[in-house]
Formats: sequence, C-alpha cells, structure tokens
Amino acid sequence: MKTTRRNLFKFVGGTAAGALLTPAPWRLITDTALWSENWPGIPRPARGEIRARFTHCTLCPAGCAVRARCVNSQPVSLTGVRPHPISQGALCPWGIAGHHLPYHPARVRQGPLKEALAEVARAAAERGAGERVAVLDLRPGRTVSWTYRRAMAAIGNGLYLTPRQPAYAIDLAAAKTVISFGAPLFDGWGTPGNVFAARAGFKLFQIEPVESRTAALADVWLPIRPGAETAVAGALAGETTPADAARAAGVDEGAIGAMKEAAERGPAVVLAADPASPLMRLNAKLGALGHTVVARREAPVPDAWKKAAPATEVSAAPEGAIRVLLIDESLAGGYVPWREIAPKLAANAVVVVFTSTGEGYARHARYVLPAPVFPEAAEDIGPAIDTPAAVFRIAAPLVTPVVPVATPGELAARIAGLAPGDALRERADAIHKAGRGTLLSYADGKSTPVKQASADDFWKTLNQGGCWMDDSGKKEAPGKLESSAAAEPPRDDLPLAVVVAEARRDGLESPLLSKLDRESNLRMAAGRVALSPADARSNGIENGGRCVLDTGCGRLSAVARIDPGIPPGVVEVVGGPRVADLCGAKSRARVVRA
Amino acid sequence: MIGGKIAFASGMLVALAGGWLAFPRILYQTRPEPVDFSHKIHAEKAGAKCEDCHSFRDDGTYAGIPALDKCSGCHTVAMGTTAAEKNFIDNYVTPNREPAWLSYARQPENVYFSHAAHVKLGHLKCEQCHGNEGGATGLRPYQWDPISGYSRDIWGRPVDRIGLRTAGGMKMDDCVDCHRRQGLEYSCLGCHK
Repeated sequence: MKTTRRNLFKFVGGTAAGALLTPAPWRLITDTALWSENWPGIPRPARGEIRARFTHCTLCPAGCAVRARCVNSQPVSLTGVRPHPISQGALCPWGIAGHHLPYHPARVRQGPLKEALAEVARAAAERGAGERVAVLDLRPGRTVSWTYRRAMAAIGNGLYLTPRQPAYAIDLAAAKTVISFGAPLFDGWGTPGNVFAARAGFKLFQIEPVESRTAALADVWLPIRPGAETAVAGALAGETTPADAARAAGVDEGAIGAMKEAAERGPAVVLAADPASPLMRLNAKLGALGHTVVARREAPVPDAWKKAAPATEVSAAPEGAIRVLLIDESLAGGYVPWREIAPKLAANAVVVVFTSTGEGYARHARYVLPAPVFPEAAEDIGPAIDTPAAVFRIAAPLVTPVVPVATPGELAARIAGLAPGDALRERADAIHKAGRGTLLSYADGKSTPVKQASADDFWKTLNQGGCWMDDSGKKEAPGKLESSAAAEPPRDDLPLAVVVAEARRDGLESPLLSKLDRESNLRMAAGRVALSPADARSNGIENGGRCVLDTGCGRLSAVARIDPGIPPGVVEVVGGPRVADLCGAKSRARVVRA
Repeated sequence: MIGGKIAFASGMLVALAGGWLAFPRILYQTRPEPVDFSHKIHAEKAGAKCEDCHSFRDDGTYAGIPALDKCSGCHTVAMGTTAAEKNFIDNYVTPNREPAWLSYARQPENVYFSHAAHVKLGHLKCEQCHGNEGGATGLRPYQWDPISGYSRDIWGRPVDRIGLRTAGGMKMDDCVDCHRRQGLEYSCLGCHK
C-alpha cells in the first residue's frame, strides 16, 4: 500500500470514526465541563474539619433554631434543629440561605463612623430645651432594646421609639378556630414550624379579597370585597346579621354563619394582617383573652435596668422635637413609614441609620453606617407573636463581620455614657438568678431545669445555641390589643384597594433565593404590581408594561402583571420600605400607564 | 481502492486501541498512599470494626479518616517489624505528623454528603458504597483524573461505566439512581451547597 495523500486522509477519517466508538471523546467532554468548575476565580468552600454549630436566626422575629454545618469555622449550610420546642426543626428558605448575607454584593459596606459620631455628639450637646435625642428600635424586646432604653434614660430627655407593637401573644395550639383577616398565617406569620405543628388542631377561616398562599391552604376562604372586613367583623361581634355582612362583603351568608358558629363554640382567635388593627378587639367578644390571646411575657432583666425610658410609639412623639435620631435597622422588623417620622424631626435634625441595605431609611438619613448582618452579630431574640412563653435565646455569631461594622447598641451606650459591659451576660445572669424555666441544649437535645445549672454553664450553653424557656407561668389577658392609629379615609380618586404581598422584603436576601423564587415567578419581584384584567384594560395597561402606582402619598414606578386571580378593585403590591412609605394600613391607590 | 480501505481500517484500529486501552492509562494519574495500611490486619488481629476508627462525633458529624491521635493510641511504639510499620512510626508517629491520606471517595466542592443520614437513618453498610475495603490487606494506589480533579472512585472503575456494579461509582447519577430505586426524595439542595 502506497502512502498517498488520499490514504492519509482515509487513515485520519478512520481514526476519527474509531475514536467515536471509544469512551475517550465522551469522557473528555465531561471532564472539560468539570475542569471549568475549577477555574481560578470560582469560589470554593474551604476544605477542613466538619463541625456542627448551633445558633438562632435573626432574620425575622421568629428566631428559629439553626444548625450550621461548618468547614473549619466557616458555615457552609444551615438547617433547622429538630428538638426545638418552638421552631420544631423548620427553617424557611430565607433562613436556609442566611449564611450568604455577609457576602451580599448589595450590602452597605462602609460609612463615615467618626464623622457621624462627632456630629451626633455636637448636636446632642447643642440641642435646645425642648429638643430630644431619640433611638428608633425596629425590633423591640431584645437586650439591646434595654440598652437603648437605659441610654435614653441616662441621656436626659431621651426618647425610645418603637413601631406599633402588639402587647399580646397568640397561643395557636390552644385554638380550635382561627379567623384570619388577611394575616399571612402560612407565609411568614409567627414561627413557621410552630404554625404548621399546630395546623392540624384548628380550622382556619381566611378572610381577604385575594387568594393568597394562606387562603389557598385555609379550610374556608371568604373572598370578600376590598374594605368589607368591618362588615364581617360586625357579624362576628353580633352587631349585624350574617345576611347583612354577606351582602356587604359579597360572600355566602352560610359561610359567615358557619364561621360565627365555630367562633362561638371556641376556643377561637382572631388575627389581622396588621397586628395592631382594631379588628383584634373581636378577641375580647369571643372570650379569647387569657386563653388563645395572652399577655406577652418577657425574660427577666437585672433590677438596675428597670429605671429605663419607656417605649413610645413614633406617632406619640412630639412634633418637630427630635434633634438626634439613631435608627437601628440592623434587623428587619416593623417599618415606620418615613412620612410618620419626618414631622417629628427638628429642622436641623441629625439622622443616623445602622443598616445593611440601602433600601430603607438609608434613603432619608444623613449618615448611613454599616450594621452587622446575620450571622455576624451576637444578639438575643425575644418571643415571637405566636410564643406565649418567655424565651431567651442568643444568635451566637458564626462568622466575624466581613466589613467594618458599627454596632448601634455600643454607640448609643457610648453617647449616653453608660458603663461598658456585656448586657447579654448580665441579662443571662438575671434569668439564672430568677431560677425559673428550663434550658434546652440543641447539641444533645437535653432539657435542664435552670436551678440545676451553674451561671457559667447556663451562659455557655446559651452561647452554644441553647434556649431558655419559661412556660410555667399562668396565662394572663393582655392589656391592649389594638393601636390608636386611624385608618385612612377613602378617596374617590383612588379606586383600588392596596393589598401588600410578600411582606418580608425588608432586608437582604441571598441571590440564590432570587434565582429560586423571583426569577421563576414563584413570588412577585420587587417593583411589580398585579391587577385584574378589567382594571388593567380600563387604564390601558398591558401585561409586563410600565405603570405608576399613585397612593396620594407618593408615586412608584412599577411593572404591571395582569392576573385573573386578582379581583377588580384591588392592586397587589410587593412589600418593603419603598411601598410602606407610600401605603398605609388601609391604603388606596390608582395605577396609570407610565 | 483496497489500500484506502486498509488505511481507514488501520486508523479505526489505532483509535480503538488508543481509546480503550491507552486512554484510561493516560487519563488517570496514580499516587501511593503515605502508609501501607492493612484494614484486614486491624479487623482480624485487633478486632476493630469500621466505626471504631471511622466514627461519628458527638454532634452527629462524620469524622472521616481518623487523625493520628487515634492510631498512636496503640502504635506508640512499633507493633511489628515490617517496613510499613517502621515507615509509619518513623515518619508520622514519632514526629507527630499527620499522614496526608488520599481520600478515594471525596466528593467535589459543590456537594456535601451526610454519612449520618445514610448510615444511621438509611442503615446502609459501609461496603455498599466503599466496597470491601475492610478485607483488603493493603491500600490500593490512589488514582485521580487531573482534568476534573476527581478520584477514580467517583467516576467508577470502568472508564466507560459499562458493567458498573451497583454503587460502583459515586457520581450524581449514582446517587439519584439509588434514591430512585429506594423511592426516596432527591432534589438539588439536598446535596448541593
């Protein structure tokens, strides 16, 4: 056989054909893909010893117990803790991805700390007789909240401000009937594990115009007309007949009658989307006080702390009197719309916000300082709304702060000249001294009466993710159920009732979650509004088109989604500070084409 | 014409031989383990069980390959006259230096695997995934693929994965197949970080 050019090509062709019949090319394709996973610049978790550490999530007031799988000391995954008596092993998607937050690209990473401190000290020293220094605490009930209160008492004429806070707790396990006026019971209300553990024991009537996730999972959903909650509440209170309420709300009379009957049979509880809503007064009529609605209990505090400043709702603060306002927005909690805060500020007020996100008060403050995020800071978490027992649990840090952070509690204490100390340790010692309750250690799942643990062991266990719980006390009726906040009067030029969905959009969230929910349309993304086809048509709005939400308090540019599941007369918006600044509890709006 | 067919067939034969015989040898690099450890001797003479050395910690996490402390409890001095024993004592126990064991079953960076879930809840035997390592008189050389960075045990012994025994590999497909057979859940975040 001669070596010709043609034969050479045939040899090469044969080689190529033969190669396809071997594993080599197919394996090399896989290997090349895997090789690309190891290119420089691709983040790789450290190799090292695997350890489990325990802490509590601070992303919402539920404070679920967290088991962190750590490589060396770096957390690489978070899960719930099964023996936890409240969170019952559950952890929501935000909690599962919580360890990503310190590295979030949108995190506030730097701020003029020295300049802010100097300006606050100057303004506090120069303030006039009627001018006040104030702290706004968005998550009251923590030990640092007591530090703020002590600081404001020490500073003289100081104000400790909070959002509207319910003074009650709900004992879902004791309820056989739950009547919810739009409360997102299965979508972020209370402690998810606790709610789902109690689910089999109660019948849920969900009253709201839109079929929310909770409405979809309720035993009975009453799709009322927007704003007809008062009529339904009147029927439950016996002030109107079920027939009248059904006519006003546009629902079946039989459903209202059945709900009233179940509520009267008891034990029942009424919940509202706004925990401070006047609808909560129904609980008194249904005999729920002291049974399913009980006074909120707090863990003991040192005696020396009890001369602290009282908590004041922002609405009760004097107008134009606040010269220095420190806002602790480090943990998501109740957001007070800026339009309620602005009138309380003096003309030359210094506003300093401690935050991790530029979305909230950072838009209004003179100084924005980076605050620690979960799981960087040692914090305690008070009882959630569905926890009748007093609890004390510490979010032990899992990582050291990855940016230089300013701790608001330390700063407030420094401004007031409080003696430096470890407030968490002092509180733990006070709880230990009281000698009540039990201490649960997650690592071994053991419960120990506090009396049997030494003060040091008690503190050590708390820092290893333990939880103190005092459920021995008698149930007491709460003092106050509703807030004095008045509902906004209806306006003819604002034809749509605003329904806030996705209320937990007030902080950072892992980019992984954005991929899982918002980009897949499982949840509405920020900057979107949902309208019924009829309302969209009448305003010339197209699906996916730009529109403007106008509430009379302000305007927000958004992308419209036309949803046949939204009834006419309703606009559904995504929660968050920007929307809270625009929309009150009973807000109305109009949506126009941009 | 015939010459052309011969050329084509020759090319095919060369490629087939290269792909089936030479490629697996070229693909994998081989490295010896630092110590010639015999599972069999430890099981038979010392009566050790898998979990005596490959244990779970109190917090439920899996300790993996035992640290030197575990070995030096018995091997404070040489327990025999073999070259392997001398190497172990002289190079590791006496200078208190951890052997750099090469793990055959290490999963890639983007995956975590819970031994506790599989052993304690699933009641799997060690051999079901790792083969009969406990009966081996020595440690086989560690083979790894320098392109992907994975151990050969992850892919499975046959380079084409044809005739792979049950649980003969530790790729994602193998995990999913086993979960599917057992009627268990399998979702992305179950294993991927």
